[in-house]
Amino acid sequence: MTTSALIERLGLKTFNEQGDKEIRGVYISDMVSDIIGIKEGNLLVTLQTHKNLIAAANLVDVAAVVYARGKVPPDDVVALANRAKIRLLGYDQDTWTLAKSLFELGVR
Amino acid sequence: MSQTDCRHKWMMANVRDGYLVTEGCYHCLNRISFFSGEPVPPVESYHEGDHFWNYLGSAQASKFDLRCGACGTQVPLKELMALMLCVGCDPTCGVYKVGHSDRERRTWVYVALCADTSHASGACVPDEGVRALNAYYQGESGDPQRITVVPCRLRRSVDSCQGIVLADTGLTELY
Ligand SMILES: [Zn+2]
Ligand SMILES: [Zn+2]
Ligand SMILES: [Zn+2]
Repeated sequence: MTTSALIERLGLKTFNEQGDKEIRGVYISDMVSDIIGIKEGNLLVTLQTHKNLIAAANLVDVAAVVYARGKVPPDDVVALANRAKIRLLGYDQDTWTLAKSLFELGVR
Repeated sequence: MSQTDCRHKWMMANVRDGYLVTEGCYHCLNRISFFSGEPVPPVESYHEGDHFWNYLGSAQASKFDLRCGACGTQVPLKELMALMLCVGCDPTCGVYKVGHSDRERRTWVYVALCADTSHASGACVPDEGVRALNAYYQGESGDPQRITVVPCRLRRSVDSCQGIVLADTGLTELY
């Protein structure tokens, strides 16, 4: 599935506009030290709105970042994501509910 | 397959969690960092010859080595304390110059930070480690010029550097 299709299916909030990307997997983590070891193309689901998460997400070339539980990234984080062409998305409910919805949509 | 013929496929190995601790000396103003695998980072000040090292800060981080899944070659990254994203804050810095050497392309430069932050000893992350980190993060299908990893001895000043260290500042940021 592509990021645009996912935004539409789940009604995700978008914090910036970036080109479409193919989602090749999902990874859930709030730890930068953990994210630096994942494969490229993952949809990164997190609660962590700190700038260093974007620095790590760029290194491992994620498909997009989804902030769960209504978390909103600060402006400097959105600015860095724009430079790195990383799409930032938002989901109001908790991470588990998001994980179930992703699984049901076939994003695995 | 012999190790010299192998087009290595690097994977992370020996991942250890702990703290990246930074200390500074009042006398020589040098800075060092080290990785602590203890459950709580050590914060005591101590003398070491003429140095008097004081705790400056710590962040949760992980350490790892790289191992080739095809031939088994291991590259230990014991000198690597953390990676840092260069934000291009200083045009006179050696790291900035690497990222801006090609005007057409935007290369993201990540700095491999060694323990000897001020490079008083002259040592840094060895070339073999930097080469393996580049191969690992540039990936097979990825754009080889999208990511470049360089050793931190290229950095001009640790004090003015605005780079983003890839470490966890604390879970208090979450809630
Ligand atoms: Zn190999
Ligand atoms: Zn000293
Ligand atoms: Zn160094």
